[in-house]
Amino acid sequence: MLETRPGGEVRVFAQYKGDVSEQADVVVVGSGPCGAVVARELAHSGASVLLLEEGPPFTPQDFELNGSLSMARTMREGGLRFTTGGQHLPTMQAIALGGGSLVNSAICVRPPSWVFDGWCGDFELEHTSRTDLDPHFDAVEKFLGIAPTPENVQGARNLLLKRACDALGYSSEPIARNVTGCRGSGECYTGCRNRAKQSMDLTYIPDAIRAGARVLTSVQVQRVLAEGSRVTGVVGQVVQPFTGRRSYRVHVRAKVVVLAAGVMATPVILQKSGDLANRSGQVGENLQFHPGVAVAAFFPEPTDPQFGATQGYHTLQFLKEGFKIETLWAPPPLLAARLPGYGRALKRRIAELSHCAVWDAIVSCHRSTGRVRARCFGMQPRLTYRIHPEDTVLLRRALWVLTELFFAAGARTILPPVFGAPEELHSLADAEVLRRAWRARDFAMASTHAFCSTRMHSDPRRGVVDEFGRCHDLENLYIVDTGIFPRSPSVNPMLTGMALAHRSAGFIAERL
Amino acid sequence: MIAVFLKLALGVLAVAAAARFFAYPRPRGRYCYLSRCAVAFAEAASDVLFPPGGEPVYSGREVGIPDFFERYFAALPRRTRVLFQALFCLFEHATLFFPAPGHLGWRRFSSLSPEQREAAIQSWHASRLYTRWLAFSSLAALFSIAYVSHPAVLRQLGLAPRATRTPIARADLLYPPIGRGPEAIAYTEADLTPPSDGTPLRVDAPLHPAFAEGFVRAPERIS
Repeated sequence: MLETRPGGEVRVFAQYKGDVSEQADVVVVGSGPCGAVVARELAHSGASVLLLEEGPPFTPQDFELNGSLSMARTMREGGLRFTTGGQHLPTMQAIALGGGSLVNSAICVRPPSWVFDGWCGDFELEHTSRTDLDPHFDAVEKFLGIAPTPENVQGARNLLLKRACDALGYSSEPIARNVTGCRGSGECYTGCRNRAKQSMDLTYIPDAIRAGARVLTSVQVQRVLAEGSRVTGVVGQVVQPFTGRRSYRVHVRAKVVVLAAGVMATPVILQKSGDLANRSGQVGENLQFHPGVAVAAFFPEPTDPQFGATQGYHTLQFLKEGFKIETLWAPPPLLAARLPGYGRALKRRIAELSHCAVWDAIVSCHRSTGRVRARCFGMQPRLTYRIHPEDTVLLRRALWVLTELFFAAGARTILPPVFGAPEELHSLADAEVLRRAWRARDFAMASTHAFCSTRMHSDPRRGVVDEFGRCHDLENLYIVDTGIFPRSPSVNPMLTGMALAHRSAGFIAERL
Repeated sequence: MIAVFLKLALGVLAVAAAARFFAYPRPRGRYCYLSRCAVAFAEAASDVLFPPGGEPVYSGREVGIPDFFERYFAALPRRTRVLFQALFCLFEHATLFFPAPGHLGWRRFSSLSPEQREAAIQSWHASRLYTRWLAFSSLAALFSIAYVSHPAVLRQLGLAPRATRTPIARADLLYPPIGRGPEAIAYTEADLTPPSDGTPLRVDAPLHPAFAEGFVRAPERIS
């Protein structure tokens, strides 16, 4: 076993032989990027830290190379969770040690200053400017070795976006990622077999364990315990990996409880705890996404799309307008699922996958909101979401820009993901049809970026936590996942979440 | 007399309904997570969604789409599994409400002639009703996942995963494989290997063993 400071350990499902009772200075719920940062920083500050994770640790031999089977194993609800209430939006949240970092494409982007200026202005925050957060971004970037994707693993598919942006005079750049030694296998979504992705289970969590943190996997937290204005710990149950079958009870007493269970699970835990920390009425409200519109296109020449970084290039040209365009690759069965038609036509499109490139636009739908509600039974959320008409205009604009870019890069055919539009478009003139007044629900979209379900606001009547993640209602309860973002960060959220978590860890350590 | 006739008619209707909804032949394979109805529908729809001929050379029936669904459904949460079974059941019996053209077009989907199945699928695909289109898109997505998951199809597309050497990282000394205890951790400090050096994976790299062969029913015709 690895050398650790006394106490450091990781416990897995097979080790539980009865009810579990633990005590710690800090219990952190959720081992995704935000929870892992807090656990590591607090362990290094000398606190006794207990990190609870519902999913199991995945070793390379546990990775499933088939995309859909992998999603069924690593994602909540088998990777088939979606919103209702106006917009049918598939959304994915991981259930694994390391959370989403195990199966995301490792994109790390600092939002520009104007994002934080907007947050500070509209949500009355005083210490959350880009300048305030830069030291925390620096710390996380240094620890994970975040760097732009090297040219030699971009692959043709990513470089086509550069070609398109150059042709149209748009700025573009390689995406910075928490990856070291990437071989461009395009397998980020099923777990990196090259151990190049610096996911939390390889970085922050082992370092937290070395510093004395205890990690209990396969533990589902169901309630936060509170007495008066303080929380005293959490209770939950051991759950079997993949089946979710519950067994032994888990009770943890702690001086501080940190919720990092994610945008969906954190509000559910609070609601199941007797509507805890909700005097503002904002727990589970204000849910925002980055709806992603992905477009596939076929090129005359082979693109060898499975070779190259999963997401290696992007353009920030349209960030202020409200969307970001990036390259994308996913396991072929999942990409095939988005191809239109049936029969010979569908087979022909599948046969052309080796000439394919997929790019997507993530759209900052600031005006569109939804809600997270706990279901009556179990710990799954019921999600509702509706896209505002003004954001629909933005979606159409993003789709049009994607189309322009593809044809500028020399695409022969594009497949617009729009109900009612032709299945294939062969020229920009054909694509004029995309400028029609399509409704939001006509777009086939998905989103893995979610925010704001426990948003920060300096006013306790309008937010759940302050800008350091401390709950307004309970002095020793903190929330550190991306649910505390007051609004979409306009870029991929992982790095911002980690920087905020890094700051919260320092804040908590000072008060222990 | 009328009462007897009504009883007789009700009996006939009950038998017809039972035959429609429950009487399916025993499937060729052994399925734990797919109902007989789902297997019959999946086999019948495979022929329409992925017919023989053209590229890729394999038909939906050749790649054994129900076999993949069995594996996939086993990995899914119960609620999702039930929803997918319901989706198959919907398509199998929707001919009651959207009959296929031709003689006895109201029969269940798996009992229709190949031409009628094609017409039934086409009516879902071309529907201007959003919910019908959404249901068809979900169905087609599931079948496409199953079809492209087949190693032989992936090989023919040139998209099968390549073999790669997985470095042994320090974290590998901490975690056992899922379902096992710490005694199953196979590595010690002495087993650690250098991390990936970032050499790009080559197009001509050998295939991952799981995709190099196996699970193949049709003759290999890799272009």
